[in-house]
Amino acid sequence: MTATHHVLVVGHGPAAHRLVERLRAHGHRGPVTVLGAEPRPAYNRVLLTSVLDGTLTAGDLELPAPPDGVRVRSGVTATAVDRARRLVRTDSGETFRYDRLVLATGARPRIPRLTGVRTADGRLTEGVTTLRTADDAERLADGPVVVLGGGVLGTETTLALLRAGRDVTLVHPGPHPMHDRLDDTAGALLASRLRSAGARLRTGRAAVEYRPGKLVLDDGEVLRADALALCTGVEPETALARRAGLAVRTGIVVDRHLRTTDPRVHALGDCAESGGEVPGHVGTAWEQAESLARILAGHDTHHRAGRPALRLRAPGLDLACLGPPDPPGATRRITLSDPARGRHAALALDGDRVAGAVLIGLPRAAAALAQLYARDLPVPSDRFALLLGAAAGATPARVELPDAAVLCHCNHVTKADLLRAWRAGARDLTGIAAATRATTGCGGCADDVRRVLASATGGNSAP
Amino acid sequence: MTRTPRTLVVVGHGMTGHRLVEHLRAHDRHGAWRAVVLAEEPRPAYNRVALSSYLEGRSAADLTLADRAFLTDPLVELRTAAPVTGIDRRARTVTTADGTVTRYDALVLATGSRPFVPPVPGRDLPGCFVYRTFDDLDALREAAREGLPGVVVGGGLLGLEAANALRLLGVRPHVVELAPRLMPVQLDDGGARVLTRLVTGLGLRVHCGTAVREIHPAADGRVGGVTLTDGTALDARLVVFSAGVRPRDELAGPAGLATGGRGGFLVDDLCRTEDPHIWAVGECAAVRGRTYGLVAPGYRMAELVADRLLDRPTAPFADPDTAAKLKLLGVDVASFGDAHAETEGALEYVLRDDTAGTYAKLVLDPEGRVLRGGVLAGDATAYRTLRALTGRELTAPPDLLLSAPGPGGPPPPPRAADAA
Ligand SMILES: Cc1cc2nc3c(=O)[nH]c(=O)nc-3n(C[C@H](O)[C@H](O)[C@H](O)COP(=O)(O)OP(=O)(O)OC[C@H]3O[C@@H](n4cnc5c(N)ncnc54)[C@H](O)[C@@H]3O)c2cc1C
Ligand SMILES: Cc1cc2nc3c(=O)[nH]c(=O)nc-3n(C[C@H](O)[C@H](O)[C@H](O)COP(=O)(O)OP(=O)(O)OC[C@H]3O[C@@H](n4cnc5c(N)ncnc54)[C@H](O)[C@@H]3O)c2cc1C
Repeated sequence: MTATHHVLVVGHGPAAHRLVERLRAHGHRGPVTVLGAEPRPAYNRVLLTSVLDGTLTAGDLELPAPPDGVRVRSGVTATAVDRARRLVRTDSGETFRYDRLVLATGARPRIPRLTGVRTADGRLTEGVTTLRTADDAERLADGPVVVLGGGVLGTETTLALLRAGRDVTLVHPGPHPMHDRLDDTAGALLASRLRSAGARLRTGRAAVEYRPGKLVLDDGEVLRADALALCTGVEPETALARRAGLAVRTGIVVDRHLRTTDPRVHALGDCAESGGEVPGHVGTAWEQAESLARILAGHDTHHRAGRPALRLRAPGLDLACLGPPDPPGATRRITLSDPARGRHAALALDGDRVAGAVLIGLPRAAAALAQLYARDLPVPSDRFALLLGAAAGATPARVELPDAAVLCHCNHVTKADLLRAWRAGARDLTGIAAATRATTGCGGCADDVRRVLASATGGNSAP
Repeated sequence: MTRTPRTLVVVGHGMTGHRLVEHLRAHDRHGAWRAVVLAEEPRPAYNRVALSSYLEGRSAADLTLADRAFLTDPLVELRTAAPVTGIDRRARTVTTADGTVTRYDALVLATGSRPFVPPVPGRDLPGCFVYRTFDDLDALREAAREGLPGVVVGGGLLGLEAANALRLLGVRPHVVELAPRLMPVQLDDGGARVLTRLVTGLGLRVHCGTAVREIHPAADGRVGGVTLTDGTALDARLVVFSAGVRPRDELAGPAGLATGGRGGFLVDDLCRTEDPHIWAVGECAAVRGRTYGLVAPGYRMAELVADRLLDRPTAPFADPDTAAKLKLLGVDVASFGDAHAETEGALEYVLRDDTAGTYAKLVLDPEGRVLRGGVLAGDATAYRTLRALTGRELTAPPDLLLSAPGPGGPPPPPRAADAA
C-alpha cells in the first residue's frame, strides 16, 4: 500500500474528522476527499446537549479545520458506490474516484413505530424531533417536552432540557432509566436524581400515539408534549454499503484491518461492525480512526479494539459504565452503596482485573477504574479505598483487636478479661472458663480464646 | 452471720434463672439470701443454646448447667417439676402446681418463652412438634423415622436448626418461611441467597414467601400433609413449629402485673416490675416493652438483678448486641450489628464471589471508618473479628478484614505496598 492513494471518505462526523487528521500525521501524502451530508463542517456531536441547554451554539461545536490538502464537501450525500470502477456518485450529480474508500456514515436515529409521529409522506410530524444532528438540536419546539426513551441519550437530553428551564417528562419502557446498563440500586439512584432535577418520570410505560401537542401512553395517560424528542436508539447507517453489495449485519462488517468484504473499502465509527460489536461510542470511533489512519498510510498494523468507558456527566450527576452490564467472565462482585449521599459503585472483577463497573457520584473511582480497565491492569487490594476515592493505606493494615473488644458475647468477656485470666495463671480452655465463663454459652468463641491464649503464651513467656 | 437470710424465689430454672442464682451465690459473701428455684421442667437448667447437639450425640448430662456445688449448696433449694401457678403479691407468696405455697422477699420471674404455634387447622394433630426443651427433642426423636416426610414451619435461625435436626434424624424436611427470604431478621437478600443454596445442598427444600394454611390428618389420625397458602401441597408425617417465640407471661394477668405491648412482664431498665419485690429477667422480660430472644441479654439481666439484690453497683440494661451465627455444620452464615444499614447515613460495602459462593456485606459509618454491622454468608471466618470490632474504627481495610482468620490470630502478611 502506498502513501499516495486517493482516499475518499463518506460521512463527516467525529470518526471521519479524526481519520483525516491522523492520516496526515501518519504520513499519508495522497489526496483526501471527504463528503458530508450535513450542511456544515464536522462538529462534536457528543456535546449536542450543551446546545439544548443553551450553554453553547451549534457553531461552537465545530471541530478544527482539516489539514491542508483535504477537500471537504459539506452538504453532499453519497448515493451509490460503483466498486468495479471505484467511483462514488452523489446527490449533487458529481462522481468521485477513489483508490481507497472509507465509509464513515455513522448512525441514524431509530424512529419508533408509533401512530402519529410521521406524516403521510414519511417525514416527522411537526413538533417531533430526533436528536442526532445540530439541526435537530436547533429544531426542538418550545413548550412542554416529552423525551421518549431513557437510555443514555434520553437521560442526558432530559437533564439538559431541565437546565434550560424546560418542563420535561421522560417516558421509558424499562423499570428505570438506562435499565440495560444499571442495576436496580443504581437505576433507582439515577431516577431520583432526575426527579430532584425536576423531571417527571413515566417508567414501565410505552407511548401509543402522538397527536399534535399530546402524547398518549399505554395506560391511557395523556401527556402534554408541544415537543416530542425521540431518543429511542440509533441504527448504523448502512444503506449505501448494502446497495454496493458489501457484507452488512447490524453494521457494515469489517475485519481487523477495518476492511469490508472489498479490500479497497473500509468502514469505521458508528456504521461499522467489528468483532460482532457496534458500540456506538465516540471513543471507539476515535480508536478506529487512529488504527485506520496507520493502515491507510501504509503501516503494517491492525486494529485492536480498546475498552472505552461510557461517561455521563451533568451538574449533580456523574455516571460511568465500564464494560457490559453483566460481564460474562466476572467471578467477584463488589458494591458500595451510599444512598444518603447518592453514591453507588458496582464493580465486577475477573480475578483481579476489571470486567465491568458502574459508578455513580464517584468521579475519582471512575477515573481510576477506567484507567485500569482500559489497560487491563490489576486492581489494588484495598478496593474499598479505591471505590471511595480515598488514598489507599488510609486505614492501618493489621487485624489486631483492641483489648476492650468482646470475644465471648454470651458472657460478655473481653480480650482484656482473657489476658487478665492468663496472667492469673489460666492456660487452657477449662481454666479460662472457670475464671471468666468464656466459652460456656454457645461455645462459638472457643477458637478465639485458644488463639488469644496461644499468642499470649507465645509472645510473653513469663506470666 | 446470725441473721436469717432473706428468701429469693426464682420462677423457672432456665439459662437466665440459673445464671442469676449462680451470680448471686458467687458474690453473696455473707449469706444474705437463700434461693428457692421453682422449675417446671423435670431437670435442672441446661444449655438450651446447645440443645441441638443433644441430637448429635451429646447427653443431657453434657449440657447441664447445674454442677455439684450448685446442687449441694445449702443456700439453694431447687424444686424440679414444680411449675408456679399463681402469685399472691399481697401475701408475697407463690403457689406451685402441687399446692405448695412459698413465701418470698424477692421474686424473680425467669419463665422464658414458648414456641409460637400459628393458629392453623390441624396444629394439634399427633405428629406436630415444637423445638425448645429436652422433652420436645425426645418426642421428636421418638417419632422420626428414616425417610419420613417432614415440614418445618419457620425459616429463621431456630427453624433452620430444627430442620437440620430433622435431617440428622433421617428426615428430609421442607422449610416454610413467610418472609421472602430465609433468616429475614438477620440477613439481607444477598446473604439469604447464599444460605438458600447451602441448605438446599444439605437436602432442605426451601419455600419462602408462603405460609402453612392447613395441616391434614392421614388415615391413621396423625399428620399426613400440609397445604401452603400458595396452594402447594406437601407430604408430611412430622411438622415442627419454629415460627418465633412468645414470652411466658401467663402469671402476669392474675397477679395484676403489667405486660409489654408484644407480651412479657413489663420491667424498667433495672428489670423491676411495678411491684418493688418482683423482677423479671430473660426472654419473659419486656425491658421498657422490648423482649430479647438471645441468651446474652438474658445473662446481662440476670447479673444485673443479682447485683441489685446484693446492693452491688451495676449499670442499667443497655441495648444489647444481637449478632447471630447459624449453628449448622458447613453452613456459614452470620449477621451482626446494623445488618440492614438502618442507621443514619450508613454505607454498605458488599463483596460477592460467585465462584467461591460467598457473600459479605459491611455496614459502615458515612466516612467509611467505623464498622456498624454486616452480613456474612458462605464464609463467616471473619465473623468473630468483625463482631468484636462493631462500633469501633476499622483496624484494617475492609477487604483485608474480610479475609482475616480471627481475633488475635496470626497477623496477615504485610501488604506489597508496605514491603516496598
Ligand atoms: C447528543 C449525543 C450525545 C452523545 N454523547 C456521547 C458520549 O457522551 N460518549 C460517547 O462515546 N458517544 C456519545 N454519542 C455518540 C457519538 O456521537 C457517536 O459515537 C459518534 O458521533 C460516532 O461518530 P461517527 O463519525 O462514526 O458517526 P456520526 O457522528 O453519526 O457521523 C456520521 C456522519 O456521516 C453523515 N453521512 C451519513 N451517510 C452519508 C452519506 N451517504 N453521504 C455523506 N454523508 C453521510 C451523517 O450525516 C453524519 O454527519 C452521543 C451522540 C449524541 C447524538
Ligand atoms: C434450639 C435452640 C437454640 C438456641 N440457640 C441460641 C443461640 O445460638 N444463641 C442465643 O443467644 N440463644 C439461643 N437460643 C435461645 C436461648 O436458649 C434463650 O434465649 C435462653 O434459653 C433464654 O433463657 P431464659 O432463662 O429466659 O428462658 P429458658 O431457657 O426458656 O428457661 C425458662 C424456664 O422457665 C420454665 N418455666 C416457665 N414457666 C414456668 C413456671 N410458671 N414455673 C416454673 N418454671 C417455669 C421453663 O420450663 C424453662 O425451663 C436457642 C434456643 C433454642 C430453643
